[in-house]
Amino acid sequence: MRGLASGLGAAASLVVAAILVSTPAAADKLTLYTSQPDKDAAETVAAFKAERPGTDVEIFRSGTTEILGKLAAEFSAGQPRPDVLLIADAVSMEILKKDNRLAAYKEAKLDGFPAGAYDPDRTYFGTKLITSGIVYHKNAKFQPTSWADLARPELKGQIIMPSPFYSGAAVIVLGAVTQQSSLGWKYFESLAANQTVSARGNGAVLKSVASGEKPYGIIVEFMALNAKAKGSPVEFVFPKEGVVPVTEPVAILRTAPNPVAARAFVDFLLSEKGQKVAAKQGYMPALSGIPSEMGLPPGEVNLMPMDVGRILSTTEEDKKRFAQLLGE
Amino acid sequence: MTAARLVGRAGERALLPCLVLLLSALSILPFGRLLAEGVAPKGVPSLDAVVAALSRSSTWVATVHSLEVAIGGTVLAVILGSAVALTVTLTDARLRSSFIFCFVLPLMIPPQVTALAWLQVMAPSSPLLGLLGFEPRLGQPNPLYSRQGIILILGLQYAPLVFLALRAGLRGLPGDLIEAARAAGGRPWTVLRTIILPLMAPHLIAATALSFVSCVGNFGIPAFLGIPANYLVLPTLIYQRLAGLGPTSLSEVSVLALVIGLIALTGIILQGIVTRGRDSRTMMMSVATRPFALGTWQRPVTWVMWLVVVAMLGLPVLGLLSTSLVPAYGVSLSAATATLENYNFVLFGHAASKRAMVNSFLLAAAAAVIVIAISVVLAYFLVWRRSVLLSLLNLAAELPYAVPGVVLAIASILVFLKPLPILGFSLYNTVWIILFAYVARFLILGLRPVVGGYSQLDRGLEEAAQVAGAGFFTRLRTIILPVISPSAVAGGFLVFMTAFNELTVSALLWSSGAETLGVVVFGFEQGGESTYASALALVTVVVTLALMLATLAAGRALPKGALPWRD
Amino acid sequence: MARLILDRVSKSFGTQEVLHGVDIDVADGELLAVLGPSGCGKTTLLRLVAGFETLNGGSIDIGGRRVSGNGIHVPPEDRRVGIVFQSYALWPHLTVEGNVEYALRVAGTPAVERRRRVADVLAKVGLEGFGSRRPAELSGGQRQRVALARCLVMEPSLVLLDEPLANLDVHLRASVEAEFVEFHRRTRTTMIYITHDQAEAMALADRIAVLDQGVLMQIAPPAKLYAEPANAMVAGFVGRGMVIPAIVLTGEVDGRCRVSVFGMEVVVRCASGQRAISQAMLCLRPRDLSVTFGDGIPCRLSRAIYQGGGFRLEVEPDMAADTMLTLDVPDTAGIGHGDRVAVTIRDGWVIPA
Repeated sequence: MRGLASGLGAAASLVVAAILVSTPAAADKLTLYTSQPDKDAAETVAAFKAERPGTDVEIFRSGTTEILGKLAAEFSAGQPRPDVLLIADAVSMEILKKDNRLAAYKEAKLDGFPAGAYDPDRTYFGTKLITSGIVYHKNAKFQPTSWADLARPELKGQIIMPSPFYSGAAVIVLGAVTQQSSLGWKYFESLAANQTVSARGNGAVLKSVASGEKPYGIIVEFMALNAKAKGSPVEFVFPKEGVVPVTEPVAILRTAPNPVAARAFVDFLLSEKGQKVAAKQGYMPALSGIPSEMGLPPGEVNLMPMDVGRILSTTEEDKKRFAQLLGE
Repeated sequence: MTAARLVGRAGERALLPCLVLLLSALSILPFGRLLAEGVAPKGVPSLDAVVAALSRSSTWVATVHSLEVAIGGTVLAVILGSAVALTVTLTDARLRSSFIFCFVLPLMIPPQVTALAWLQVMAPSSPLLGLLGFEPRLGQPNPLYSRQGIILILGLQYAPLVFLALRAGLRGLPGDLIEAARAAGGRPWTVLRTIILPLMAPHLIAATALSFVSCVGNFGIPAFLGIPANYLVLPTLIYQRLAGLGPTSLSEVSVLALVIGLIALTGIILQGIVTRGRDSRTMMMSVATRPFALGTWQRPVTWVMWLVVVAMLGLPVLGLLSTSLVPAYGVSLSAATATLENYNFVLFGHAASKRAMVNSFLLAAAAAVIVIAISVVLAYFLVWRRSVLLSLLNLAAELPYAVPGVVLAIASILVFLKPLPILGFSLYNTVWIILFAYVARFLILGLRPVVGGYSQLDRGLEEAAQVAGAGFFTRLRTIILPVISPSAVAGGFLVFMTAFNELTVSALLWSSGAETLGVVVFGFEQGGESTYASALALVTVVVTLALMLATLAAGRALPKGALPWRD
Repeated sequence: MARLILDRVSKSFGTQEVLHGVDIDVADGELLAVLGPSGCGKTTLLRLVAGFETLNGGSIDIGGRRVSGNGIHVPPEDRRVGIVFQSYALWPHLTVEGNVEYALRVAGTPAVERRRRVADVLAKVGLEGFGSRRPAELSGGQRQRVALARCLVMEPSLVLLDEPLANLDVHLRASVEAEFVEFHRRTRTTMIYITHDQAEAMALADRIAVLDQGVLMQIAPPAKLYAEPANAMVAGFVGRGMVIPAIVLTGEVDGRCRVSVFGMEVVVRCASGQRAISQAMLCLRPRDLSVTFGDGIPCRLSRAIYQGGGFRLEVEPDMAADTMLTLDVPDTAGIGHGDRVAVTIRDGWVIPA
């Protein structure tokens, strides 16, 4: 009994000590908030750390919209934690930029990047081209080739798409498609009539399609193509009307605790090495001259025309309207 | 009087105000702050937030959903839990202690893991069904993504809770009362209906209320099964609002939290009303010893009981296992495709899950140690120094566990969002806010066994030490602690295991670097990474099981009845 | 009303045998007390008769019907055996009336008849007007009567009473005891009365069965049990008998024989056909002994205890200092600890070998 009592005391001091030790102020620590899939984020960071061994990187991964929510919470607590953001779309970056949350990085090396890929004020930089298209189960009877195909009545109850309340890419899909005269809001109304379900993120869409629960989905291309390569029973198609691109921009927070490491991380992502890592993961690199290892080279894919500025101004309204049609 | 004794006296006298302060901080302050946020956001009395929240149709839809699944889940849990408790306690079905261990095990497995596991079992294209040769029809949805699915899993999750409550009641049921009824000509079913169930009514009602409150507050199951089907209940609605919009939505979610709290309290109050006026005090203790012989039914009943265990435990674990072994979801499992890559990734490759393991372990251990430290002192006063103030303290300790976890989480955010006075930093977005919430929420889990330990302790032991001149802390250290420590260790285990598997509170309070296991599993599943989620979930199940078995091995050192899974 | 026959009844729990070949034949209308120290198996015996336990050997017949044994086990609910439990086992959620009418309700007796019979039986036990009370509102004696009423309302063929007075205050026991006697005299219901209190058993029973460690020691009317214990256990257990070694010098003549005790020859009672043997046991009661100033067994007084109205002396015979003899005297006549006294034996009983 006495043994138990003193054991209890020893355990207490051990745990308290362990907690104190487990939250050290690391010498060179970088905090990254990203919407990349867990595995990709881990690989990216591993490649970065190979370049800069002294830096410890803490990754926080979630959907783009959720990251913005988390950040909002941190801003109101007065303690924003991240140094760098690597999230799906420029519109979200624009929101942060408007609130004066981003730091400009004038010295970023942008040779070889197309002008549209980065913010002219150099607060965020597109790192790759991610396009949203259509995924379907390989046993699906009908093989869609266009966005319009998803509105066909025979696909009723069989479609899933990422919710713009979670995915940044989906925000842009919503903004871009509603801008098209051929598609517009009527398109989402017919998707709603087709009982399309909105899921929390592209990963959830992939799982649903791969399992056959919903044989058709809207998804970012690299996820579908990677899964297919792993043996997952899915096919990806670049729709005729054009894919919806996002640039997965990286940005440094104005409040970054470690701006030096943050700049190094941006440098790495924009470097040839960093771009090659992205290519290997199945992305289309933003830096011209680095070939994509999966899917089609961007030149042969039709990009859906869109007005990013307009998306930024209508995005809140768009989301509300979407929620009414398809839920959050 | 020596100086040491003076210090001892002063220490004892100073302790009570300390306890009052502590429990105020842990319980009264957060809930008071929450209440204030609902009716007076920003310090000005106004019903705007209430009106705004209540005028949204989503609030009402989620409220109705919450009630639907809570009532449905409770009914299922009560039926299943009572049937098993009655069979195990009143008949001579065989192999009971191992059965009880297995049946209570799901209670220690976190709800989100249960939900995830059942998803793997029921998914038309799950690797498990694939192994059995099922070919899914395209477009066939997982039947668990629905109201019925949530009700089913809630029922399975909380059936052990009803089982434990009813079994405790049945164990206190004097066997004479049953035998008297049989001698009077009552057949077993008649005796069950006219004597046993009426006498068990208070226990059944309490179990029903407990199960209802747990169902209302459950986050993990509707999060995994409801969110994909857009079937939101109040806790998941709060989660989505807060995750999507951040603290700007705090006033509104505070109102939602108050609504859940209200529903849960209504359940508890209803229990009080229904139980009042019932006199089921029994006068003698001569415990019933399995009065009903099953005869030829003994074998079939034993088989059915084990089938229940296989269905409740074996299937979901197999589901997790099979999904955790495929390289990508949708790939069929075979010797050729099976891979340990998912385990490799969650155990070694994925920084957040490695962090989460350390975090969950340390949080749970710290919560257990702090809770037990508070409990040992608090229980001393509760058992031996009764007063109105102390009854209030007891109530304050009960409250954070009685109300749903999201309510406490929102209350904690409200308290800790702004930087602390004097210290100047905010606990929000740090691991400490989770620790705070764990200590507040699980205090009662540790307190109950310790109070039980004190109640069995002869006051004379302590008084003899006092007469011998030992001060309060000396007595605590040399007399009370050695005697109480088995109860304290049992309580600590309970707190540790509950906190280790926790999701509801941490889903709202976590921050990067302060992830918990529950949050990471949830994150994987949300991101469609069921294979990682299953692998990590299975790891937590194995750890939980190992801990439970360790407590069994510790065996007689721990007091009987303090750990639910030990019969 | 029924005759109860236990034939070579055996019962074990696991490897532990609690009843060993017990034979008891209870006549119709008889009140049999089963007496024994705690753990002797008397409660198990009752539970076997009631049907709560199954037999390992032997058989039980109630009213000519085999209820246990030979592969038969009639469940308790079909035995029509009334039981009054030590704890009374009143159902706390039912009123007195609800408790009493339970058996009738279960049997599907029509409400009118049910009410009549409940009123009758409550009157019989002196509880008119208590029908709507709850058990918790009654005194110990009242609860006891409710338990009895509940048992009687079903007009059982056999009533089992498990230490029914054990939970009553001492001053209540005598009156309840008297009520039982009166009640049994009136109804002539066959009753088995389990008790560890021999005074109770003596006062109530037609016959007493003494059980020890699962074996039936003796079954006899109270007076005979007291006067002629069948063995050393009964002799020692009933009436604080002293069992001391003796030599039987002569065979039985007219129920008596001559024995030598601690060197002194006396004539005592014995069973018919008792023969002379060198190693016998003699049962003595304190009242069989007296202090003498003439010839007697030389002893040393070890203790004199005042017991209201007289003294109990504990003396050690010189020949066997480890044996203790007790006797009652009106006063100590000035002798004290260590003094020498001589003790004579007026009467005794040779325990049959």
